[in-house]
Amino acid sequence: MAERPRIRLPKQANKGEVVEIKTLLAHLMESGQRKDSAGKIVPRKIINRFACAFNGKPVFECELEPAIAANPYLQFSVKVEESGVFTFNWTDDDGTVTTAEERITVV
Amino acid sequence: MLHPFRALTKISSRKQRLLAGVALAILAVSIAGLVGLQTRAQNAGLAPLATDGPASARPWVRYTGWPTRDTSKFNSLTAIVSPPSPTAPRKLVRELAGDPAAGQKLVADRSRGGSCLACHVMGSAGGADLPGNVGPDLSEIGNAGRDDEWLFNYVNDARVYNPETVMPPWGTHGIFSEAEIGDIVAFLKTLKSLARFKTALDDPFKRPAPIERRDNLDSMINPAMWLVEERAPALWKATGPSGQSCASCHSAPAQSLRTWAASMPKWEPRLNKALGVEEFVTRHAKATTGQSWLMQSEENTALSTYLRYLANGAAIAPDTESAQAKAAYKRGEALSARKIGALNFSCADCHGADKSASKWIRGQWLGELRGQLDHFPTWRTSQQSVWDIRKRFQWCQVAIWADDLPPDAPEYGDLELYLAAQNAGRRLSVPGIRH
Repeated sequence: MAERPRIRLPKQANKGEVVEIKTLLAHLMESGQRKDSAGKIVPRKIINRFACAFNGKPVFECELEPAIAANPYLQFSVKVEESGVFTFNWTDDDGTVTTAEERITVV
Repeated sequence: MLHPFRALTKISSRKQRLLAGVALAILAVSIAGLVGLQTRAQNAGLAPLATDGPASARPWVRYTGWPTRDTSKFNSLTAIVSPPSPTAPRKLVRELAGDPAAGQKLVADRSRGGSCLACHVMGSAGGADLPGNVGPDLSEIGNAGRDDEWLFNYVNDARVYNPETVMPPWGTHGIFSEAEIGDIVAFLKTLKSLARFKTALDDPFKRPAPIERRDNLDSMINPAMWLVEERAPALWKATGPSGQSCASCHSAPAQSLRTWAASMPKWEPRLNKALGVEEFVTRHAKATTGQSWLMQSEENTALSTYLRYLANGAAIAPDTESAQAKAAYKRGEALSARKIGALNFSCADCHGADKSASKWIRGQWLGELRGQLDHFPTWRTSQQSVWDIRKRFQWCQVAIWADDLPPDAPEYGDLELYLAAQNAGRRLSVPGIRH
């Protein structure tokens, strides 16, 4: 997918604050259960895994299933104790991994 | 397959002189020379347009996955060919011997024009699952004392009793055979008790009107915003075959074009038709940058969405005052009242306040014409794509079993002008988001 991932989180937070992170990746999430006009199954192609780490330590991970709609949108909360970098990984069925990162400053 | 444009609009010598004057003024204030092109167009009141050839693919091929049934023997926006309405009810020479069980299946058969249940509550038929309320509740029609002849004629062609009806002429248009209509009549006579709905939402008379509450301008919610944020600005800067880009003349579109799209569609004397944003983009880009951004191409949709986005908040204000625009409006109004397709619906039949607007056709809400334009082009969650208003027109036609037209058809220009006038004063909020 050509679209860049969309991520929203505050640029700044207080020490110990719980911040909300929203992520969205443009993806068709082809379930593998639809048929094309010739009656053939359209092969499954979904984002099957999402992971977020903060300063290298995992803070949120999940597996995604075929019933999840196109353009998977995930929202989760993280308690931040220090400034650093969030990294985000979306793993496609075809092995492609889309990555992104965002910085947060703790004051 | 794409039809190339052959000629650009000629600039008259008067305009060239005007250009020279403008160019001198620009030199004096040391503004980049290319801005002069924009100034010239604005001063002359005429934007450069490629006026030769169509603005969409020819032959026009219906979108992949859309129905392909032959509807050429029914009216369209360009042809009046439907079978004529009978002048009087048919006399039944013998009693109908229909099969109510077969009729019960037919009234719920969605392959036949959407089924009777799309418009009528019919007691327990179809499991009372999401019927519509465009037509009257027929749950107790069996108690109404109607004879076979009346029921037969009403289903066959209701126009013999009510010339203003919106009911499709099922028999005259050959959607149901006489024997099938007999089965339906037999079933109607069995309907003697009110529908029992599983939930209040199944009852179209109680179902609340849908309200779109999603924030259509949030890119986390509306994927069409990605066109506006990324794709269109990139296209704006892309240099075309002529060595120019949109940005060459329109360097600050957020300022210079903050109301332009709200003035569209506009009567274009050089083409003798009303141009919407989409067709304008095709012809103007061809004439200036040399790009071939045909209507319904990904590039055209991105830019048309962007141009209307730039005018967000501006009130829709098409010109309907000039003589030619007035004539186009009149034609659009007439087209919106023309009954087309096998189902014989006009725009007004479904979206007219005095007809079926603000009612349910099965699970779909029929909105009034006012309110149908300010959010286009819109993201359609059910289609995972952006539709402009022309594609919406095309789908309306295909859905009522009528032939659609190419997106640059002059009839759509007239219709869009009429629709825009019905929406005058409403403020753009583009891209919209809808089911």
